[in-house]
This record gives sequence, C-alpha cells and structure tokens, in this order.
Amino acid sequence: MTEQSRPRDDVIGTPDTKDSSVLALSDRLRERADRAQPRRGIRWTSWILGGGSVLAAAAFAWPFFVGAVPADAQVAVPIIAFALIPALIVALALTLDREMYMAKTVALLGVLSAVGAAVRIAGAGVGGVEAVFVLLILAGRVFGARFGFLLGLLTIAVSSVLWGGFGPWTPFQMFACGWVGAGAGLLPRWHASGSQRCRIRSEIALLAAYGVVASYLFGLLMNLWFWPFAVGSGTDISYEAAADPGQNLASFALYSLITSTLTWDTVRAVTTVVGVALVGPAVLAALRRTKISPRR
Amino acid sequence: MFRLRLAPLRAAVVLAVGFVLLRVVYRVVFGGSGTGPLLLLDLPRLRLDGPFSHITLFGPVTLLGLGNAAQSALPVAAVIVFFGLLNAVINVQALFARGAGRGPLRAISRSLVIAWATFPALLESVRRVRVARSLRGERSIASLLVPIFEQTIERALALAASMETRGFAATRVVTGVCEAPVVLRDAGLNFGAAPDKTRWHLDELNVTLKPATLTVIVGATGSGKSSLLHSMSGLFQHFYDGTQQGRIDIVGADRASTPPRATAGFVGLVAQNVRLSFAAETVHDEIGFALAVRNVAAPIVHARVLEVAARLKIECLVDRPIEQLSAGEASLVAIAAALVNHPLLLLVDEPLADLDTAARDRVCTVLGQLAHEAGVCVVIAEHNTREFVTVADAWLQIRSSRLHQLSAAELPGTDLANSFRVPAPVSTALRPAVPLASIRRLSVLHRTNLVVDDVSFEVQPGELIALRGSNGAGKSSLLRTIALPTTADTVIVSGSDVHSLKRRTRRQAVALVPENFDDLLFAITVGEECRRADRGLTGVSTAQTFAHLLGFDVTADAAPLLQSHPRDLSAGERLCLVMAIQLGARPALLLVDEPTRGLDLQARTLVGAALLTAASHSAAVIFATHDDDFALGLATRTLCMEAGRLSAPITVRL
Repeated sequence: MTEQSRPRDDVIGTPDTKDSSVLALSDRLRERADRAQPRRGIRWTSWILGGGSVLAAAAFAWPFFVGAVPADAQVAVPIIAFALIPALIVALALTLDREMYMAKTVALLGVLSAVGAAVRIAGAGVGGVEAVFVLLILAGRVFGARFGFLLGLLTIAVSSVLWGGFGPWTPFQMFACGWVGAGAGLLPRWHASGSQRCRIRSEIALLAAYGVVASYLFGLLMNLWFWPFAVGSGTDISYEAAADPGQNLASFALYSLITSTLTWDTVRAVTTVVGVALVGPAVLAALRRTKISPRR
Repeated sequence: MFRLRLAPLRAAVVLAVGFVLLRVVYRVVFGGSGTGPLLLLDLPRLRLDGPFSHITLFGPVTLLGLGNAAQSALPVAAVIVFFGLLNAVINVQALFARGAGRGPLRAISRSLVIAWATFPALLESVRRVRVARSLRGERSIASLLVPIFEQTIERALALAASMETRGFAATRVVTGVCEAPVVLRDAGLNFGAAPDKTRWHLDELNVTLKPATLTVIVGATGSGKSSLLHSMSGLFQHFYDGTQQGRIDIVGADRASTPPRATAGFVGLVAQNVRLSFAAETVHDEIGFALAVRNVAAPIVHARVLEVAARLKIECLVDRPIEQLSAGEASLVAIAAALVNHPLLLLVDEPLADLDTAARDRVCTVLGQLAHEAGVCVVIAEHNTREFVTVADAWLQIRSSRLHQLSAAELPGTDLANSFRVPAPVSTALRPAVPLASIRRLSVLHRTNLVVDDVSFEVQPGELIALRGSNGAGKSSLLRTIALPTTADTVIVSGSDVHSLKRRTRRQAVALVPENFDDLLFAITVGEECRRADRGLTGVSTAQTFAHLLGFDVTADAAPLLQSHPRDLSAGERLCLVMAIQLGARPALLLVDEPTRGLDLQARTLVGAALLTAASHSAAVIFATHDDDFALGLATRTLCMEAGRLSAPITVRL
C-alpha cells in the first residue's frame, strides 16, 4: 500500500492541525509519514528548538556579554538572563508539548521523570552522587533528542517540587539537564555489523564517553552563570565586568577547577560511567521494548 | 494551594549558611580579605603565572575583611532563604495538577500528574524488589535497579494503553453504529510485515457479535486471546505494532484506520492488570478520566461518575485513594471507568486472574447484567471458563491459528484432579523422629495489624503442602517470613535456625518463588540469567533444570528460549525459569506463592509437573493457591489460613 492510498486518520480535525495532524498519527503511521513527507512541520520546530537553545546558551554565558553593552545598561544584563531562561523554557515546552501529545510518550515521560526525580533525591542523600544522568542519557538515546530534553526539564521540575528546592536556579538546572538528554539523542546511530554483544558494547562505550563529556560540560555551564554570585567581588578570581575577556576566562577557569571540576564533576562522571556500564544494556533493552521510534 | 512544610525551609537555611561560608573561603584563598585593621592571620602571598598572572593566592586575613565577605554574601543568602520559605508554604504540586489536561501544556502537565502518581508505586516496587533480591541471594546493584525499572516501564505502557483507549489525545471522534458492534470478515492478525506461518498468527477470522450478548474467548496461553481482543480495541494495530489483514469493523468504524482514542466513546476496555492502568489518584477521577480528557464540565463528570458507581454498587469507594483498593474493588472500579462513556462494546481482558471466589462471582454477575440488562456487547478473554458458564451466550476458542465457535458443553475441562501422579504420602510409621522443618509460633506484624498470628506446624520430608485461604488471609506474608524470618527460633529447617543463617546457606535451607516472580529477573537473555544463577554454586546447571522443568528431555531443546529476553517468555515459562533459579542452591524446603495465577490449563499442568519435579529435587514443597483443582490434584496435605491463623485441623489426604 503506498503512502497516498493509505487512509489517513486524524487529518480531519481542528484547523490548526497542519503539522499537528502528523504528530497525532499512531506511531507506526507517523513513522511512515515522516519518511514520506518533507517534514515541514518538524523543520519548523527544529528551528525553534535550535534557536531557543542558542539564546539560552547566551543567557548562561551572561558574564561574558556584560562588557559588550554600554556601561549604563550593564546592570540589566543579569536580570535579562534570569528572565530569559524561564521564558525560553516555557517557549520550548509549548513547542514540544504538541509533539508529545500521545498516550505512550506522555505516560513514559511522566513515569521516567518520576524515576529520575527519585534517583536525584536519593542521590542527594549520599553526598552528591548524582546518577540521574544515567537515566537521561539512556532515555535520550532511545527516544531521541526532543524526549531527552523534556525528560531533563521534567526530572528537575519534579524533584525540585518534591524536595522543596524551587528557586531562581531551577530553570538553569532544567536547561542544563535538558541539554544532557538532548545531546544523547543526537549521538550518531550506526548499523554496525557483527554480533549483538559487540554492538551493545560499542553503544555502551559511546554513551559512557558521552557521559564523561556531559558531566564536565554540565559542571562548567552551571558554574558559568552563578560564578559572579558565588565569589562576589573583591577577590582575584572575581568576575570583573570591566576587565578584558581573557582575564575573566582565566578567573572563571580557576574558579571552576577548584569548585566543581576536580570534585563534584569528577564524581558525577565516574557515577555516570559506572551506571551506564552496569545497568545500560538492560535499561536500553527495556526502553526499546516500548517500540517508540526515536526522533531527533 | 497553601500548606506548611518545614523541610524546604530548613534545607534553604543550611544552603544559605553554606553559601556565606563558601564566599568567606573564596575571599581568604584568593586574596581580598585583608582590608582594615584587626589582623588575624598573615598568610604568605602566592603569585600564579601564565594566563593566571592576575591572581594571587592567600595574603593577610583581617576580621573586618571576613566580616565584609560575609556581609557581601547576605543578599544572595537572603534570596535562598526567601525561596525556601516559598517552598515551605506554597504547594506547587497542586498548582501543576490543576493544569492537567487543559491549556497548551496538557501533555506536560499530564506527565507531571503521572509522575506524582508513580511515586507510591515506585516505593512499593523498591520494597518488593529488595525482598526479591534477598530471596535470590543477589547483591549486585543491577539486580535491584533493573527489575524496578522494568516494572516502571511496564506500568508506563499499561497506563498509556488505558489512556489511549479512554480517548486521550483524540482529535477525531467517529460516530458509532450500534447494530453490529463487532464484525470481522476474513481478518488475519500477525506481527511483522509479511504473514509468517512459522510465527504466531491468526487467520480466517469471521465473527459477528450482536448487542446484548456476552462472548468469552478461550484458548491456551500464548494462543492470542488478548491479541484478538485488542484487535477489537485497536491497541493491537495502533499500539503493539501488529499487522491486520482483511476487515475489522468495530461499532461501524474500520479498525485498521481508526485508532483506539477515536472510538473511546463507544468502546470500553478493562485491561488485564487493572492496577497498572489507573491514571488518576482517586477513584472518582479514575472513573471520570474518559470524560475529563474530553473537557467535559466538572459537574457533569461528577454526576456521571456517581451514576456509574451506583450502577455497580460501589458508591462507597468513590472518595477513596486509588491505591487503597482491594483486588476485587480495583476490578470493579476499572469496569466503572470503562463504562462511564456508556459504551456499545465492552472488552474485558482476563478479569478473574487475581480474584478470590467471592470477588469472581461479583465481577461475573456485573458483566452478565451489563450484557443482558443494559444491552452492551461484552467480550471477555479468559481461561477461567467455569465461572462464566451461567452468563455466557457464545464461546469462541482459538485453536491452531483459527477461531472456533463452541457450545458450553464442548468447553475444555478444567479438571486437574487426576492428571498428576501424586506421590504416596510418607506413612506415619516411616517418618523420621525429626521433621524436615518446623515453624514455631510465627507471627508477622504489618504496621499495627497482626497479619500472621502465632502459626506453628511441621513439615515432613517428601510432602507437597497446599496453603489455602481467601485474599488477605496472610498466606503470602507467612511464606515470605518462613523464607526470610525476622526473629530467631521461629523457622527451623534441617536442624538449623534459618534466621541465623548467612545468605548462601539460607538458600540451601529454604527458597521462595514469590507471587511477583518477575522481580527476580534482571538479565537481558534467559541464558545470561541462568549463568548468573550458576555463579558460586558447584555442579549445578540452571539451564538444565529449566529445560527439565519445561518437560524437555535434552537441554539443547530449550536453546531458542535461552536466547530470548526473559520478559518475552510466557508466564508459565517465566515461572519455571524462576523456579529453576531458586532450585539452584538445592533448598531443603521450596515455597511457591500462587504458582497458577493467570495460567491456563496447559501451563498449570506444566507448573504442576514442575512442582512434582521440584519436590523430588528438594525435600518438601509448600505452595499457596486459590486454585481448588490444582491444590486437590497435587497436594499431599492442605493447610487452611483464615485471618492470619491456621484454621482447619491439618488433613492428610489418603
């Protein structure tokens, strides 16, 4: 049966369904439709997601932008950054929400974010051994970047609400975790020949390597926006709006190294690698048995 | 919306204090705490070079400098405490829950509601799996995390299926035709692209079902009862990736192109494991779910919920939290939730598997009334056929990939009584003076309830004991405590106190196959599971025992099974796998909790034979069961439990 002659359900619907009709198709039909169509709606949301992420990255790096704006506007930069991140989260969540509006994805998203939150809260009790990246990376790998991103957002949201740690820092954590999940979804896929065992091993190795990179990058990102507040003024590694970028970068590097890179981030990297290696094959198999096709 | 919870505030204060201290430390280490008089310490300055040439470490430390540092940290610390206070007072969870199902973030807010509903289940599953891994004698982290994760995924899929069939995310609603709720014409079902005769498939399905009839689909485990049922609900084609040939019309809609969510107004589905498929937190919201996802106004939802509850006589349950229901109540709530849209077709998947006799009668009566008084077309997939004989209008049997109409007289017998060769009970004269195991004054306290109350009995070598009693009588608690005693001197096996035994030696004394036997499995292939079980034991091949329990003469015959994922095995095969794992340590006493739950005749025969084999491997077997025929056919002795006590005197079968 060709794609054209297949009866397309759900096309009759609300007027705004030009692209959401594609999303509302059942998984299998949707997958076929994706392959057959030029994916116009998908590309449109990709632009929003990409653009939003770039803007958010800029907001994370606000200390390095202060020098570029006129002196009397410099005070506003951190305020704009702090307002921009939550606004971007809402914008991206709105964009992704329509794509996720399917029973299977909604149920998995809810259940997995509960697992993630439980892992995060349990991990906080044992000295910052955050194993939540293991889940984000494995789920992002199987279900794709969009799902991984949302799972990152929701895991932080749920654990913050449960633990009672909601604050101005939460949106930054949400974004950073979202990127960790999304990055795992963007890793290359290959159809390696060879035994099943071999394929599983190489995939686990890839994910573990990504886990190390993601752990350190996550630490750097979280330090970046908070560094001026953490150190305050008056020390030699303080953030100086007037200083040249090279000096600020060196200060930041030293701050990051002693604050997190050598300690928390290393612990997190080790936890992630061990976790992916230990439970990775079984969890990947469990996630793949749900038969949701990955989407970037 | 508002409530007081002190933990977030406490955490925020600790965080704020830490923040201030950290900033003081930064000042001390990176220079800058040396302003003003009152010198405390004069540390040597240490100048860095390279890109860090502008940085000097240490230097003089003054009291004023420290004070300045602490003071500069106060604004941020205040923000932290302020948000701690907000978190302590505002119930953000309630804010999120309010948005569920409405507005532009309905997918995400529904996910959040599901996340919160998942937490109790998650805690329960952690508790269960911890018991399971100590039963298996495992200590690896994977043996804890993988079963919990598998259960969570299973829950997510069951939940998704139930949301889908109740109209979640529907964009189109078809109009139902009530003359012929189900019409199958030359239909075929299979998995995969092309029909493959060597794998599971159904062919030449020609069935027409009328309103006001009750039809029961019967067939062996794995024959496709559920798949046939779900080809009607649409989950087979649109959720489980099955392929349909021919034509299937459900309430007038072509099933191949109509997803379940589009027919939610006309087709109700009661899932196999109803507890897994509950999507709301209270019984009221659960019953009203199908209406709420269609944005029906709250007062109308409320009225309809009460109406349906009254019809099933479960008004008293409406305000209860969903996790406080008994098995029978949960089934009735699931039926009510499927009825709230007044369906023309009600599909029910194995409604009786978990229920005791009283609850079974109630559910059968309700389903019969729906068909014959309310005029609904009811289709049930079930292997406990005897209960439906009085209410069923038609029987469909799946046999060798075809569907056959049966009359009630042609039903396959459910009589197991004489299908086993029961070993002769050890005669009293030959009994050794010391029993194999003795249970002495065993009690189990669960919170404040005494679930097992002062139970004592003895087990002789070679016995096969059936433990019987209604739901909640304490059978499972008794078996679990015999396997993992909590107090000394209550369980003595082969002369040693099980409580004082170490992990490995305990498994040689007593092993339990729990009711949720899947909790013991955590590898990705059956073969790996068997190798894992062989570790640390000498001269044991779990794969061989597994093949033996399944009735294969040569281990190689089970080779295809060893390659597959443990959760792809049928329920009976999985039970045999777990039994093989638990028999690995050659326990003197094997305990099995509900070995026949959800199994058809053939699988029950398999399990019965496996228990007999197990009884010859280990010295004695105790199994808890609801299944009268199974108990009668197999046991050399029966123990009855009632409200935590052994009620009847022990009867020896002659």
